[in-house]
Amino acid sequence: MNLDQLLYNTYGFSSFRPGQREIIERVLAGEDVIALLPTGMGKSICYQLPAKVLPDSILIVSPLLSLMQDQVAQLKKMGEKSVVAINSFLKPEDKEKIWSTLSSYKFIFISPEMLVQPFVKQKLKQIRISLLVADEAHCISQWGFDFRPDYLRISEILPHLNFPQVLALTATATDKVTEEIKKYLALSEPYVYSHPMDRKNIVYDIKKFEESRDKIEFIKEFVQKYNGPGIIYAGTRKKSQELSMLLTELGVSAAFYHGGMEQQDRVFVQQQFQNGELQWICSTNAFGMGVHIPNIRHVIHYQLPTSIEGYVQEVGRAGRDGQPSLATLLYAQGDEALLDSLVMDDLPTQHEIEAVYHHGAGALHLIDQGIVRETAMRVISYWMTQLPIEGVIKQMELLRSGKRQQVLKIRELIGLNGCLRSFIVQCFDQQLGGKPDNCCINDGIDYDAFEVFSPSKEKQFPLQWQERLSVILPI
Amino acid sequence: MLFSELILAIMKAVNRQRTISSPYHLIKGKKSGQTIQDIGYFGLYPYFGVLPKLDKKAYDQAVQRLFSEGYLLDNDQVVDLSQKAMDLDIAASPLNGWKYRGKENLFFSRLSLIVQTFSHISQQQKNFDPVVINEEVQSWVKKYLKRINFRDLAVAQAFKIELFTTLTDSGSSETHKIIVTERLTGLALSGLTWQQIADSKNLSLLDVQLMWVEALHSWMGVIEQSKPPLLFGLMEDIIQQSSLTETAQRTKKLFDKGFSLEQIASLRQLKTSTIEDHFVELAMNDPFFNYRAFVNPALFEAIIAESRSRKTKRLREIKEHLPEASYFQIRLALAIREEQR
Repeated sequence: MNLDQLLYNTYGFSSFRPGQREIIERVLAGEDVIALLPTGMGKSICYQLPAKVLPDSILIVSPLLSLMQDQVAQLKKMGEKSVVAINSFLKPEDKEKIWSTLSSYKFIFISPEMLVQPFVKQKLKQIRISLLVADEAHCISQWGFDFRPDYLRISEILPHLNFPQVLALTATATDKVTEEIKKYLALSEPYVYSHPMDRKNIVYDIKKFEESRDKIEFIKEFVQKYNGPGIIYAGTRKKSQELSMLLTELGVSAAFYHGGMEQQDRVFVQQQFQNGELQWICSTNAFGMGVHIPNIRHVIHYQLPTSIEGYVQEVGRAGRDGQPSLATLLYAQGDEALLDSLVMDDLPTQHEIEAVYHHGAGALHLIDQGIVRETAMRVISYWMTQLPIEGVIKQMELLRSGKRQQVLKIRELIGLNGCLRSFIVQCFDQQLGGKPDNCCINDGIDYDAFEVFSPSKEKQFPLQWQERLSVILPI
Repeated sequence: MLFSELILAIMKAVNRQRTISSPYHLIKGKKSGQTIQDIGYFGLYPYFGVLPKLDKKAYDQAVQRLFSEGYLLDNDQVVDLSQKAMDLDIAASPLNGWKYRGKENLFFSRLSLIVQTFSHISQQQKNFDPVVINEEVQSWVKKYLKRINFRDLAVAQAFKIELFTTLTDSGSSETHKIIVTERLTGLALSGLTWQQIADSKNLSLLDVQLMWVEALHSWMGVIEQSKPPLLFGLMEDIIQQSSLTETAQRTKKLFDKGFSLEQIASLRQLKTSTIEDHFVELAMNDPFFNYRAFVNPALFEAIIAESRSRKTKRLREIKEHLPEASYFQIRLALAIREEQR
């Protein structure tokens, strides 16, 4: 079969991007595959194209609802109708229809928690699955920066499905994480494709300050020196609003984006950014998933990221078009102390673990009473089904030390005298294959590579309602 | 109408007989017996459920501002309106909350997606990211568009003309209309967030959201009346068939079959007090509701007389003077509209 022809017929692309062909060939040869592809390198093609050839359904396990929705929307936009998403938000009346026609769907997206419900398991057993895709597979590893205990449940379903062929996709994975993916997905000899993590067109910058408020001054200057589009990762919702207001007051077009906004507003901000109606987005880490904007020139971290993996993923939203892009990390003295508490706060404490075990099945009310946090509850309730209490406490200690390692790496990055790029690449157990001329702050940066600020032509006056409707509907 | 005016309008209507949190429940559209019956007692129909997502913190802040600006006064247990508040001329609002029950959101979601589609199709763009994520709305709009033959340019033009005429006729202010159109998305012109709209008009988030609801209620009223062929299609399932809440409807069905209040409670596995709430709601809404099954006519008259002479709708006050009446009976009697008594 001619893969190039298939690619052209399906997507209208005349060539594969690096890695895609290798991965797809192995998948079609019936091998298990672990694919490490940086974000924006077209991961979904790796199962969408094989689906054109494979006889039966593709089961895609997706850890995040928003991600699942995005992928379903993308497929539908391409005209694919045989798609279904199974998650806990399904309505009863839809469910019935889906269960009775399950085998007719080519693409079945499912969340991990639905995967292990006895009824769902039963239904999945009855259909034929050509390929199981574990999307964002690093979430399965407790060493990953984005560990989701629910994701481990994939390993429970495998025997029921007679160990189908597996494709594990992820954008970030160290060797340790890859090993865990193998273990939990029961992959004895998978083909591992590991794309170089390094993105040559991204330039790494760190700016250090004595005080937090110096960062604000820096940002003010920066947005009046360079053009966007750019993302400023602010850390908190409140900060994202403050920064956006600051930029707006300077006459720079900006908006904030965070999970506390209603969905419609988030869609509007995304579309404005996509349309080029906005120069800057000030956001929490909620922004980025499912955003397909090739020409993002700047990613600024107002606050320290909590792991190198997370940092690389966020920075990786810049420069998908291959043009020079700048990643600027802002640091003020004392930020690392904040980081420690931020990271450790996520994990269940021993006190919480004991409380949950003590209350057994009725432990949910502990959330309302404020004794156990919701995130902690999620982690504990998974481990409760797997381990006795001592085991869980030990497990959490392990996790804690893992997180501590990640924070140490960030500290190391900040204090580094050598090349930032080399360091980052090493964090992923890879070797750097040559440095670009414009590399990082420690090797010297040529800032002339970035387009200078041009104030928007004229101040836009809000349109009257008739004018606005006529612009929207020029008919 | 500004959000602060909404609070004051409600406080004026309840006339010192309710706490400061009652406007909050009303605006959010809480379906408790108390809120529902107050709607009837005090004629609060327009305001029911106009901002279902209202945040308690934001509400409290608005209330605090009314205190500090001297519109509200703390007076022992009740909240008083100052002379300043009484003198405030609040313009009549086109709000129609009891009728539309938050369905303006559904109307506007449909409209947004249709307008976005026309905007792209008429400019030769076939693919776009839908501005409305909700799949139910998406599939409704797909069916609707197919039905009206949306690829025909003449249909798009007719739709646009209907938009202009009905919105013009809706009689809301220019600002109201701008807010509505700023929430619409087209090719290369995205909708604006509440914050962006509020900032550009020097209004608060809640003011803008409330004005959006007002604009839609009056617009929907015009569409219902003039029935323009294309836009009227968007009103499907939006005009409430019955003004009763669903749960009260179920109680009514059982009652009509001859079950008693207690039997209904046990059948539905609900508390009797909940079923009582339903009957109060029925009494408010059903002009043929027969109270005699629950209150004998003499007691009924006594309750009404007591409420009139003391100029109160406070249950406890009436109960003190009529100990033989139950709270339920008092609530029921007060719920029945004057013209039916």
